Amino acid sequence: MTLLVAGGLGFLGLAALCLSLGRHHQALWPSPPTRPRVLGLRAAGWTLVALSLAAALHFDGGAFGPVHWLGSLIGAALLLVVTLSYRPRALVWMAALAVVVTFGAALA
Amino acid sequence: MKQGFRQSMAWLHTWSGLVVGWVLFAVFVTGTATYYRAEISRWMQPELHRQAAIGPEALAHAADLAVAHLEAHAGEARSWFIGLPTPERPLVELFWRTRPGTAPDHVLLDPRTGAPAAMRATKGGDLLYRFHFELHLPPLWGRWIVGICAMVMLVALVSGIVTHRRIFSDFFTLRRDKAAQRGWLDAHNVSGVLALPFHLMITYTGVVTLAIMYMPWGVTAAYKGDQFAYFAETGQITKARPAAGQPGTLAPVGPMVARALATIPEPLERLVVSNPRDANSTVVAVFEEPHGLSHEHPQVAFAGTSGTIVEVLSGGLRPAAKTFTTMVGLHEAHFAGPALRVLFFLCGLMGCAMVGSGLVLWTVARLPKAGTATGFGWRLVHTLNIGTIAGLPGGIAAYLIANRLLPADLAGRSEREVQAFFGVWILVAAAGAAANAWLAPRQAWRGALAAVAGLFAAAVLADLVLARALWDDPAWFLGFDAVLLAVAAGFALISRKVDRFRAPGRARREAAAAVGTPRMERA
Repeated sequence: MTLLVAGGLGFLGLAALCLSLGRHHQALWPSPPTRPRVLGLRAAGWTLVALSLAAALHFDGGAFGPVHWLGSLIGAALLLVVTLSYRPRALVWMAALAVVVTFGAALA
Repeated sequence: MKQGFRQSMAWLHTWSGLVVGWVLFAVFVTGTATYYRAEISRWMQPELHRQAAIGPEALAHAADLAVAHLEAHAGEARSWFIGLPTPERPLVELFWRTRPGTAPDHVLLDPRTGAPAAMRATKGGDLLYRFHFELHLPPLWGRWIVGICAMVMLVALVSGIVTHRRIFSDFFTLRRDKAAQRGWLDAHNVSGVLALPFHLMITYTGVVTLAIMYMPWGVTAAYKGDQFAYFAETGQITKARPAAGQPGTLAPVGPMVARALATIPEPLERLVVSNPRDANSTVVAVFEEPHGLSHEHPQVAFAGTSGTIVEVLSGGLRPAAKTFTTMVGLHEAHFAGPALRVLFFLCGLMGCAMVGSGLVLWTVARLPKAGTATGFGWRLVHTLNIGTIAGLPGGIAAYLIANRLLPADLAGRSEREVQAFFGVWILVAAAGAAANAWLAPRQAWRGALAAVAGLFAAAVLADLVLARALWDDPAWFLGFDAVLLAVAAGFALISRKVDRFRAPGRARREAAAAVGTPRMERA
């Protein structure tokens, strides 16, 4: 459960961070990101990654929390990188799915 | 100065990584497989039928039968190890060593009758587990080699971080449309950087698990070299009880098992009996680890002749010992449930990918110019790369195939399986070396990887044809076979990619422009 919440938040955060980079932004949109957009995506990205750590600590405490957080973050990053290099457009529905999974697992 | 520092770190990274890369690849592959050691062992003994639960009386009875067997067959041994049955593995597993330096004797018993279990002899997942830190060498040699390689790995990791100048902007980048070298570099960077916390943790804690061996001086000074005294004083094992030198009779262990189970609420894992025929014999009941990061087995020690409790160890470690056991626990990840275990496994695979892509990158970056012959050094590295990266997985597949093909009652059966493991490994490596003479490097890779994919598929086929009648839980075995098929598909996919990859743009034009270069054209 923690893995899904932390992993979902981590996936969204890393996706935002990655889209703030010109190369990956252009995989989804025609133009490079504007300066405000870069800052907005980075702020959102780091906030979501921090939230995923907070969620892991909240659910599992100081011993297991960081282990679960890093594990789920690495898994989310791997999924993201594979998606980006093979099916970048799939990121749109995967982000939506990540939102659903995160809330679903948090409320379950 | 800055430039110079980074360049020297790049040099250090390249060469430290190359020198230990082959051993590290083997350590990463076998270590990653070891996350599923129990599952591999179960797959390799399909005769085993799991049970619902094993009550305290059944455990006590099994322990009595084990001791009866050992008294009849191992009376001279100085210590007995009795693995007790669990629902997952309802067997009594006995080890004993009569003289120091000799291989221990080993037998599996049926926990209800005490008769030897009718089961194919195999080392199961233990072969890969021990290979992970001993390389199938004499333990001292293997552990030192693996330890030194792990220490160099830490050097390679840190120098790699310094060398990698654009960690954030390349964090998510896996370019597949550029030259081969760019693609390999991206794969190396991504597998290294994404799982960097895992790589640092697993390498550091791996060295720490054997730190007392690598750095014995503290124990030498404070305990006169007696490691067991150190472990006992820090509360990790029960205190040693030296032999009295007078004969004694071991009291029945069944009641000891019952009292141990009443003392500690965890599942009982094994009994260790020291000096069983001495007046000062000791029986230690060792329990499974309670849920937590730390690797701590609760233990209850009994005086063997009277059956009275002499020591109970359960938690309460001091900070230094707790730090050590937590690092060991993180390395072994026994605490991980199914989902976290999958993540650890994926991280391990990324470690294999990092080491493997680094090794390949060394040769790709030094591919000889069109028309020139390869040097001896390049051919050596290329040959060792194929021999390790394709050879070891091929050996593992052959080990699984041998497990299904060899007759169950063959003498020395488990050693034959190990011979199949090393035989096929050496065969793939030798074929890779021989292929240098008439095949381009790309074709050698393609053939070797396709052969590995075929071997894993053959292991599934052998299981379906020869062992299906024995399965106690078809869904579980089909799941394991599905994972083997996924591994086969992975190797087939890489083989295909290696084959179909055409260096785009400039590199291809250069290759086409070069005249009289049969090797490169075929490549």
